[in-house]
Amino acid sequence: MPSLKDIKTQINSVGSTRKITSAMKMVAASKLRRSQEKAEAARPYSSRLEEMLASLASSAASGEGIIKLLTGTGNDQNYVVVPVSADRGLCGGFNSSINKETFRLVKSLEDDGKNVQLMPVGKKSRDFFNRVMKDKILESFADLNVSVNGYDAALQVSNKLQELYFDGKFDKCIIVFNKFKSAISQEVTQQQLIPLDVSNSSKEENVDDSGAKAIYDYEPDEETILKDLLPKNVSIQIFKVLLESDAGEHGARMAAMDNATRNAGEMIDSLTLKYNRTRQAFITKELIEIISGAESI
Amino acid sequence: MATISFDLVSPENLIFNDKAGMIIVPGKDGDLGVLPGHSKVMSSLRPGRVMVYGEDKNLLKAFFVSGGFAEINPEKCIVLAESVVELNTLEKSLIEKEIQDLENEENKKSKEKLLVANAKLEAIDAKFYDKI
Repeated sequence: MPSLKDIKTQINSVGSTRKITSAMKMVAASKLRRSQEKAEAARPYSSRLEEMLASLASSAASGEGIIKLLTGTGNDQNYVVVPVSADRGLCGGFNSSINKETFRLVKSLEDDGKNVQLMPVGKKSRDFFNRVMKDKILESFADLNVSVNGYDAALQVSNKLQELYFDGKFDKCIIVFNKFKSAISQEVTQQQLIPLDVSNSSKEENVDDSGAKAIYDYEPDEETILKDLLPKNVSIQIFKVLLESDAGEHGARMAAMDNATRNAGEMIDSLTLKYNRTRQAFITKELIEIISGAESI
Repeated sequence: MATISFDLVSPENLIFNDKAGMIIVPGKDGDLGVLPGHSKVMSSLRPGRVMVYGEDKNLLKAFFVSGGFAEINPEKCIVLAESVVELNTLEKSLIEKEIQDLENEENKKSKEKLLVANAKLEAIDAKFYDKI
């Protein structure tokens, strides 16, 4: 049976853990608010860009050069998968669900006979894939810190991706990330980044103003604009993903820390009960000893 | 006088969102003056000045953009800019130093940056469009 002192130490240590987790929860909550604001602020740009692209995309014929971002290389053999995780842990299943999903995706693509390479973003997925499929890693990014570096963080990833794409290193790029649904729930989502999946975005746009398109004058001309627009769109998509993932990370951490704090509280309660029982048991034992000692005289 | 609503958006946030009397944007093939009722145009931009005027043609704000796109229709003008700075916050000495640093580098990226930095310098010195 543990001594009173042992239990007391245990209570104290659980108590300090609880302090840490509840502090982390508060920090995550305030960071969550900030990154949500950032994600909100980025929305006008990306929605505008998508609109422009949707109205231009229909006019693009297949071609060489930058247009390939839209039309694809014509092949479907080499894939790059970009899992986007957090840089830190202690946020519940946030990172592991990304890693699991990516792992599954890679396996299923390989079963279809494709070549798959990885470009993990974030320390946690980088470390994971360094362990399990090191030979597939093309490039990795960590400490991008999108909430501080902003758009530049996305540019790093996007420039590298485009460089590799135009070198003919891959035909399709799929990004796997946690979509921010609400402060407590994230959804693992796959999105095809290259070539651009117009079918999705244009469908949404068509609903609001189907008649208003294609009457624009283009300066200098459609093709030049498209050539400027496409690389930018890739960067913006990545930027959006990074922001969502950042907000999701804080949300997930908040939920995880809330749980941990609650568990610690429960544990302290049960330990305190045990402590009191033990204390009483000791007292009773001592009393019995005294009484039986007195009787024997 | 009529007004046109003007949005200046960078990837990180919405920088300007208000009514204006006239806007000048640096189109790739030359500056575009946008008045209310402008025909529909989509243009890509070169690094340069975006000037926003009030209803009586007084200069409200001047920005420097490093490139991007403009979408113009009769009621609205939207500029999607890669990076936006207000013109009067630019420091000439800092940019000159940046240019010097960039001239020592020799790669594709530094050349692009150099182009933007030179445009910045030009934009600071440019006085035309201040009064119209």
